[in-house]
Amino acid sequence: MSFIAFIVRRLVHSIFVLLGLSVVIFIISRIMPGDPARMAVGARAPQWAVDNLREQMHLEDPLYAQYYYWLRDALHGDFGISLVTRRRVADDIKEVFPATLELTLFAGIIMGGAGIGLGTLSAWHKDKWIDNVLRVVSYLGVVTPSFVFAILFLLLFGMSLKWMPTMGRISADVSRPSSVTGLLIIDSLLAGNLRAFFDALWHLILPGIALAMSGLAQEARITRSTMSDNLTKDYIASARSLGIPEKVIMRKFLLKPSLIPTVSILGLDFAGTMSSAFLVEFIFNWPGMSRYGINAMLRKDLNAIAAVIMILGVVFIIVNIAVDLVIAQLDPRIRLAPGRGE
Amino acid sequence: MKSLRVLSAMVVAVLIVGLVAACAPAATPPPVEAPPTEVPPTEPPPKKRVLGVTFSWPTWIDPAVGSDFSSTSSLCNLYDSLVFPNTAGGVDPQVAESWEASDDGLTWTFHLKKGIKFHNGSELTASDVAFSMNRLLEIGEGLAYVFLGVVERATALDDYTVEFKLVEPSGLFLISLIRLYIADEQEVMDNIVTPGPYGDKGDYGKEYLMTHDTGSGPYKVKEFPLEEYLLMEKYEDWFGTFAPNAPDEVRFIATTEAATVRTLMSRQELEITDQWQTIEALNALGEIEGVDVAAFPVLTEFYYMIHTKKPPTDDVHFRRAMAYAFDYDAAVALEWPGTQQSRGPVPAITAGHNADVFVFQRDLDKAREELALSAYADKLDEYSVEVHWITEVPAEEKWALLFQANMAEIGIDVDIVGTPWMSVVEETASQEASPHIVTIYVSADFPEAGSLLKVRYHSDAAPTWSQNEWLLDPALDAKIDDALLTVDPDERYAKYKDLQDEIVDLCPSIFLYDQVQKHGYQSAYVDWPAARGEVIPVMGYTMFAPVIGVTGP
Repeated sequence: MSFIAFIVRRLVHSIFVLLGLSVVIFIISRIMPGDPARMAVGARAPQWAVDNLREQMHLEDPLYAQYYYWLRDALHGDFGISLVTRRRVADDIKEVFPATLELTLFAGIIMGGAGIGLGTLSAWHKDKWIDNVLRVVSYLGVVTPSFVFAILFLLLFGMSLKWMPTMGRISADVSRPSSVTGLLIIDSLLAGNLRAFFDALWHLILPGIALAMSGLAQEARITRSTMSDNLTKDYIASARSLGIPEKVIMRKFLLKPSLIPTVSILGLDFAGTMSSAFLVEFIFNWPGMSRYGINAMLRKDLNAIAAVIMILGVVFIIVNIAVDLVIAQLDPRIRLAPGRGE
Repeated sequence: MKSLRVLSAMVVAVLIVGLVAACAPAATPPPVEAPPTEVPPTEPPPKKRVLGVTFSWPTWIDPAVGSDFSSTSSLCNLYDSLVFPNTAGGVDPQVAESWEASDDGLTWTFHLKKGIKFHNGSELTASDVAFSMNRLLEIGEGLAYVFLGVVERATALDDYTVEFKLVEPSGLFLISLIRLYIADEQEVMDNIVTPGPYGDKGDYGKEYLMTHDTGSGPYKVKEFPLEEYLLMEKYEDWFGTFAPNAPDEVRFIATTEAATVRTLMSRQELEITDQWQTIEALNALGEIEGVDVAAFPVLTEFYYMIHTKKPPTDDVHFRRAMAYAFDYDAAVALEWPGTQQSRGPVPAITAGHNADVFVFQRDLDKAREELALSAYADKLDEYSVEVHWITEVPAEEKWALLFQANMAEIGIDVDIVGTPWMSVVEETASQEASPHIVTIYVSADFPEAGSLLKVRYHSDAAPTWSQNEWLLDPALDAKIDDALLTVDPDERYAKYKDLQDEIVDLCPSIFLYDQVQKHGYQSAYVDWPAARGEVIPVMGYTMFAPVIGVTGP
């Protein structure tokens, strides 16, 4: 009951958050400089063509009326027509969202796996050379933007060594599997197309690692810091005095409680990656939603901007709920807190 | 840890299922016993010749929507037009076999070639031509501005004869038909979405034509994933002639990112780069083995458009002072080697260009003399000249800073303001909001001076981005109109030349340089006519793929 109540309460909160987000983004997109209709039909189009489009988009109506039309349609899954692609925004999103999701999931796995692994290694060898090296590397990782890694990887592994593919999600000579989930590596497995699977995976590696680097370093630093703190706690000393093997102490008593802050940050990093992936997507010509969103903003594509931001809002909410659930599993105190868990 | 083990097991299971599925034989009908035949030795299929070109995106392949460089490059490969531009700045017949104009110049009749097939196999007829023109006029977007106010209506007289009624005679009408891309009426109307903004025509096929072509051109759409690339394949039944090594596939790639482009070029996964690479990036591309930089003049000029109705630039002597003070040699040196200072208001390669027009050169003494003659000579400290440069073209700031420094030498205070393109479009729509100076590249629609003079200096174009000058001179308008109505080319060109003298005398603009279009390309295996100097001087046609030879990589 209380678990379900927790979920329900979070979902109800989320509705208000999304509603607020929709109002803010709607207003911001409408007051940005530049006439979206003029931008859409071209600088040399006659004024009547601009006026026609403004009428079709209700741009002559008061802002509250425009918001009403937009919200009414959005609740039915219709985000309107993109001024740039001239297609339904929902159709555009169906194409670009899986590309970004696949990339960020891949990056998230690297962030979580490698970040926690390196952080643990560093904490376990605290103040030894391996810890010092990893700390310097993780500092560099945190302060270096992902697009720098993207360009470095592109030039090194793409241009100089020519080891890796540098553009798109799949090679031109590999047939794409028919879309089921939109995630190429899953769809290719479902279709039994191993060539497409490995090719798509191969294409994911450079942009995925570039995107993961900053979060990976962050996760490593947080894991190391929390584990280092916990290593000095009495219960660890107590466990050691009882003769419990170090590996068991590490796995059972140290890692689990130390992961709580890491998981919190990992969730935020993952969701943030989805919105900040645009430079990596530009560099690797990755047809994702992040790039689509930035292009929409540059071209004042009102409906596309609103749709992308709303979807990112939903992703943030889902990830946050998921993180809360994971943390509740990791920490019994949270799970057992009144009104929070069972 | 237990859940981790479960998760791992699930992942492994999915992989195993995938492997099994991949290894499993495909479902096939029961084999039919065939008589034994001798199997000839199989040869590997010949490698496809692919031409990859990067572009600034998006690309619109609807002939009634697209109008920019990537769109026109696509349209000329996917669709045919009645006439086709040639390297001399004129036109050759394409779908049209012959044509004639009425004595009053108001009716043009075109006779079409027979047997031209659309990509879907149906025959191209006069009805399709009329439909394409009328659709363009009704939608009013993209390249419609070329015909709006010029063409009243198009009508098919029979299957192979189409008639255009003009609003008024136009010396540019014939050449403007290179921008009428002929779509298959039946296929478009079979794919309209209703209801739509065009009444019983629904959306007029706009949604369908965003990702499909209905043309008869040398290439047809094979794949068009959103914002990623446009892949076109050779249309073997095209009625024209392909060069011996013309590409089998043409891939327009949606990126201009310098590191990506450089990597693709070095891997020979890209044949021609976009035109937006910086000089530094082009120099780096030129260092790649087998890659050269092709640079050729185009119908584009870089202007400092001066507001002639706003103090202090409303004074012709003030404007001339600025024109004399500007350091053209330094400005040109900031561009690609070989770039030339403009000679007057139209690029030198344009038909009807006046090579003898007066050209301002830097002369500070003359600048000071002109400034002394201006009404603002004693009030310079009361005014500053605001220069807006386009932030989407960061290089423009260099010229703005140079201009600011040059003007300071004669005591003119200049404020430079980086302004987004769409804000420039908005502010130039109003005489009051237009700044003193806007720096803009403007391209002629057709390789003829009149097309540029009209959009740059005629009052009809005053409230648009292509004119910040606000000349609003009825006498000049009448002369431009008169030149454009003149059907005889020699007579028309003579009028254009007089107009250029008159405009330079008014000094409404500073004419910086004629733009040179620059691309890195794989000279080792791409035979690109434009790189050899055989340039069709109309936007998009340098990428007309049937004439480009690809022999590698």
